[in-house]
Amino acid sequence: MKDVLLITLKGIFRDRIFQGIMALAGLIVFIPSAASLSMRQVTELSITLSLSTISFIMLLLSVFLGATSMWKDIERRYTFSVVSLPISRTSYVFGKFFGIALFLVLTAFVLGCAAMISIKVSSMGYPPARPVEWGLIMAAIVFDAFKYILLVGVAMLLSAVSTSFFLPVFGTVSIFLVGTITQQVYDYLHTPASEKVVSAIVKNAALVLYYLLPNLQSFDLKVYAIYSIKPSLGGVLTTFCYGGIYTAVLLLASSLLFGRREMK
Amino acid sequence: MSNGVALDIQGLSKQFKGKRGLRVEALCGLTMQVPQGEVFGFLGPNGAGKSTTIKCLMGLIAPTAGSATIIGETIGSVESRMKVGFLPENPAFYDYLSAEEYLQFVGRTFRMPDDLLARRVEESLRLLELSDARKRPIRSYSKGMVQRVGLAQTMIHDPELYILDEPMSGLDPIGRALVKDIILDLKKRGKTVFFSTHITDDVEKVCDRVGVIVKGRLMALDRVETIMRSGIEGYVVQTKAGIGNHTALASFGLIRSSEVFREYSVPAGRFNEFTALVSHHALEITLIETKRKDLEAFFLEIVENVAR
Repeated sequence: MKDVLLITLKGIFRDRIFQGIMALAGLIVFIPSAASLSMRQVTELSITLSLSTISFIMLLLSVFLGATSMWKDIERRYTFSVVSLPISRTSYVFGKFFGIALFLVLTAFVLGCAAMISIKVSSMGYPPARPVEWGLIMAAIVFDAFKYILLVGVAMLLSAVSTSFFLPVFGTVSIFLVGTITQQVYDYLHTPASEKVVSAIVKNAALVLYYLLPNLQSFDLKVYAIYSIKPSLGGVLTTFCYGGIYTAVLLLASSLLFGRREMK
Repeated sequence: MSNGVALDIQGLSKQFKGKRGLRVEALCGLTMQVPQGEVFGFLGPNGAGKSTTIKCLMGLIAPTAGSATIIGETIGSVESRMKVGFLPENPAFYDYLSAEEYLQFVGRTFRMPDDLLARRVEESLRLLELSDARKRPIRSYSKGMVQRVGLAQTMIHDPELYILDEPMSGLDPIGRALVKDIILDLKKRGKTVFFSTHITDDVEKVCDRVGVIVKGRLMALDRVETIMRSGIEGYVVQTKAGIGNHTALASFGLIRSSEVFREYSVPAGRFNEFTALVSHHALEITLIETKRKDLEAFFLEIVENVAR
């Protein structure tokens, strides 16, 4: 698994798509100047822009790397050479996944450092009303990375069964979009107002999807970081365990499906 | 336990699901053994089931029925692949890596110690004439160079068994000669080589035995030498002109004659009669050439019989 992981990492660093996406990271440098244009809540805006930029970059990376890494190997016939080596298909899937996951962690770390420097610069020029909670900013970045690692798991699962580029890419994007609103839908379905509008069948279908699809909103700690509000420790731990278990299930399913896949 | 058998295939079958639910029988009850130290040519026309067999052996696809072992290990297992150097058909390797990096990656999957791996990478690159291009990404290589990287990665861990799917494909005559030399060298070192091809000349030059597969069925399995011997149709014999009584040979077809020699066509069944007449009439043989069906004719005969 380690060998596939290292090769995957090497491939990402040499990929032109990655280099293009990382050029976007340069935007972080301009965040203090952009935030100062708002004239008020400059530090808060700086935190918002920094965390959103990191989140957007990681979304692009997780979709493109997660959805294309395995597909590219199959499409370009690299898998014939690799899975006929003495490595199990599980090791191959896990190696690919952890290579991308490690890369996302590295990206989060580098971009996080850059973002914190930007936020520091903003906060020195325009001191915020509430002190900046650096721990919360770090937690927001860590949980964001965690969310996108889970999304890579989704992409890997779709890649394990798909023969084309479309299902992994568009499937992952769709699941990301749905995953960020399932909590809101769930909350809405439990309000008295929904009972008059939503039929029982639609409600049950929505609830099935709520439990089946990943709830990505719970990983979003940006608001806590921006306004320096401490989230509940229990909630954070639950999200952490949920993410871990969900990702593990995705990986096991990917490995099982890829193990049965025929390399014709 | 391998009991001196490198490859043991028993009733291997593979069906693919075709269009509209139709089942395509790509391989049908293949049974054969390849002893250790043998160079085995797996000959067949395009679409005969050669690559399907090899993909089953390497665990790339699962057989519908039957079983096989590679040096005693069941196919599809990591342990079985540990004992093989495999070259896929039209190979493709991570093109962002250089040949050197790719060989290191392959060696590490075989859990080779670093110092041994470094030495083997060096040797393989030199043997396959890739030393100059070792640092360049594979994406800049020609098709022939990629094929040579493929061969280098089969040799890196010095396996007992080599499974090569169309190893000469995409190579120029120099490259083909190089591969043939490598296979002959492996044979000298007691290695087993199982390779598929549709080029009979490749088999004739390097193989001990040949299996002919057509439409998923093994149609012939024999020693190349035996096939060649059984294919002898007759002889072309030259005798010295001006010596002895040539009229005694009138019942044999005279191909040509000159002041120096006379050339006869002698059927295989009448060769002894011919030599007896030569001896009895004080004639002198200067040249004997065997007229034989080559492996290609043998192969085409089988394919045509199946087609009928």
